Amino acid sequence: MQHTNIILSLILISILSSLSSSRVLFLIKILVFQGVLVSLIPLFLREDMALGDGLFSVIMIGIRGILIPWFMYVIIKKIAIKKEVEPIIGYHASIFIGLAIFVFAIYISQKFNLPSQQKIPLLVPTAITTLMSGMFLVMARHKAITMIIGYVIMENGIYLVGCTLSTHIRYIVEFGILLDVLVGVMLMGIVLNNINKTFDDIDTTLLQNLKE
Amino acid sequence: MVESIIGLPLLAGIVAYSLPKKIGQWVVLCTGILHLVLTCLLWHFQSTPLFYPYLAITSEGLIVLLITSCLFVLTASYMISFMAIVDVPSTSVFTAAMLCFLSTMSMVALADHFMVFWIAIEATTLSSAPLIFIYRTRKSLEATLKYLVICSVGIALALLGSLLIRVSTELCDKTIPFTFSHIIPIAKSLDIKWLKAGFIFILVGYGTKMGIAPMHTWLPDAHSESPSPVSALLSGALLNCAYLGIFKCHKVLYAAGIGSFSGTLLIVFGLISMLVATIFIIKQTDYKRLLAYSSIENMGIIAFGTGVGGLAAYGAMLHLIYHAFIKSSLFLCSGNILIEFGTKQIEKITYMTQRLPKTSIAFFAGVLGISGFPPFGIFLSKLFIILGTFQKGYYIYASIFLFIICVLFAGLLKYAMIICFNESDQTTEPKFYKAESYAMVWQVILMLTISVLLCFWMPSPLSSTILQAVAPIGGGH
Repeated sequence: MQHTNIILSLILISILSSLSSSRVLFLIKILVFQGVLVSLIPLFLREDMALGDGLFSVIMIGIRGILIPWFMYVIIKKIAIKKEVEPIIGYHASIFIGLAIFVFAIYISQKFNLPSQQKIPLLVPTAITTLMSGMFLVMARHKAITMIIGYVIMENGIYLVGCTLSTHIRYIVEFGILLDVLVGVMLMGIVLNNINKTFDDIDTTLLQNLKE
Repeated sequence: MVESIIGLPLLAGIVAYSLPKKIGQWVVLCTGILHLVLTCLLWHFQSTPLFYPYLAITSEGLIVLLITSCLFVLTASYMISFMAIVDVPSTSVFTAAMLCFLSTMSMVALADHFMVFWIAIEATTLSSAPLIFIYRTRKSLEATLKYLVICSVGIALALLGSLLIRVSTELCDKTIPFTFSHIIPIAKSLDIKWLKAGFIFILVGYGTKMGIAPMHTWLPDAHSESPSPVSALLSGALLNCAYLGIFKCHKVLYAAGIGSFSGTLLIVFGLISMLVATIFIIKQTDYKRLLAYSSIENMGIIAFGTGVGGLAAYGAMLHLIYHAFIKSSLFLCSGNILIEFGTKQIEKITYMTQRLPKTSIAFFAGVLGISGFPPFGIFLSKLFIILGTFQKGYYIYASIFLFIICVLFAGLLKYAMIICFNESDQTTEPKFYKAESYAMVWQVILMLTISVLLCFWMPSPLSSTILQAVAPIGGGH
């Protein structure tokens, strides 16, 4: 119980720092940190541990914590980006919004009345905060790479929500979802790389040829 | 047998990746034909799948599968002539992605488990993305990035929605498989609060993929920037697949006794989509975007009809079928126009009746069909939807609906007249007539013929399947 709360607080800190950072490399480090922590959560929620659960967590850490961030790292090395340009919403405002999201998440999670909530009160608010902050990052940043990072954070949040809500995890189904996310991130990376060749920059402000 | 419908195109895709260009195209066509044969066999025998709780045969799934399969065969045969004229780079990726796209769409049609359905929908996004950016131009890359990011984020919300519905089932019965067909019988005892929340997220999520406004922004870009055969598939087949998710979820809510909640949401979002599409159609300069916005409008009509229920739900299911065929035919026509004129600008197309006589007839007929002119099927489906709406007593909705389709009719026809009969510019000389061979027109004519034919003669298995599909949402009478 105590361990779970510590892990959840660490996830919250990782979210706040992701909202405040302008350096893409730092964001990817946060992604590693967050991916590993999120994959560990189901282990702590369960009373009885089977070998399958342990193995599944290892695979999750492998994909969420290592494979996806590593792929993002390869992309940013290839297209040589270091910093987010002027964000749509500034970093201080972003942190403030992150905190506001957290307060909102605590407020709304009290209304859910889920069985897992009595045991670990921080679980539902963290899940909602992660999800919404990820969405916020997708909307509030110019660089396409930061949007993809936001998408991965959002997906981490949905996984946490899944852990909170349902006790039965079908491994094959979870694995299918994760595979989709992985391939999605890879494809976005490939498209980004191609855009970089034709545009010389991946600022989404330049991606405005198509509009009415 | 059910698995082979998903597995065969996937395997063929892997094989086609390693084959040279010429053979790869024929592999696509042959796989498409084989897929169609298997689909027809499935319609006849309705065997139980091996992975039973995950996959299942449903009436609405069968309809979508049949549409997808028919369109794929016709598009694949068009593609062979298309690729002989247009230079498509990295052909092996293109053919492999086409077949994977077919495989994932079949998986959507056959999936019954909430999560498997989600996986399949996301997989359609991923397998169609390489098809859109195949030319690697600035615009197509931009369109693909938008498509991937907006759809992935949207569909992630649908995953959240599925999880919320999962909560409502777990509060009721922990052992039941999380599939649409298992949940519908026990829907009455589910927790309504969670179901409603889940439906909203699923509507937003799959609605993004289906092109429901205001989440539609990726659609005009992706449909206009992709090669024309791909646009035909995206518009005719993929949007239906996304609709399937919303439809199935609406069935669950209807069975739970809160069909009016989901129905009203569908009606409102449907009308918003139609309105947004109309606004963009009236001032349009690009004919492929014009067709893409028309897809948004038609998806709005389908959502509207499904929401109203009764006769309108039957009309919506018919609309799904007719729209798929007519819109695909229009996108294939737009491919011919693009080859001949080399531009997507409406006002630069002159003397089309002389330069592309067959295509111009088919295009004009298609526009008449899509805007609801008899004898094409959409006339019938729109009539059913309007009658159904009046029958239910939704007079305000019906009048808004009628107003929008009148404006749309005017907007679409205005541009169709300009495209087909603009003879203002005297200077342009006809350049080449490559796109006018019968090899690139017969598919279009066949699609239009199917839509007319289905109006007068509906095979009894098809009509009974449509009735079965809409019966759980109170449709059909």
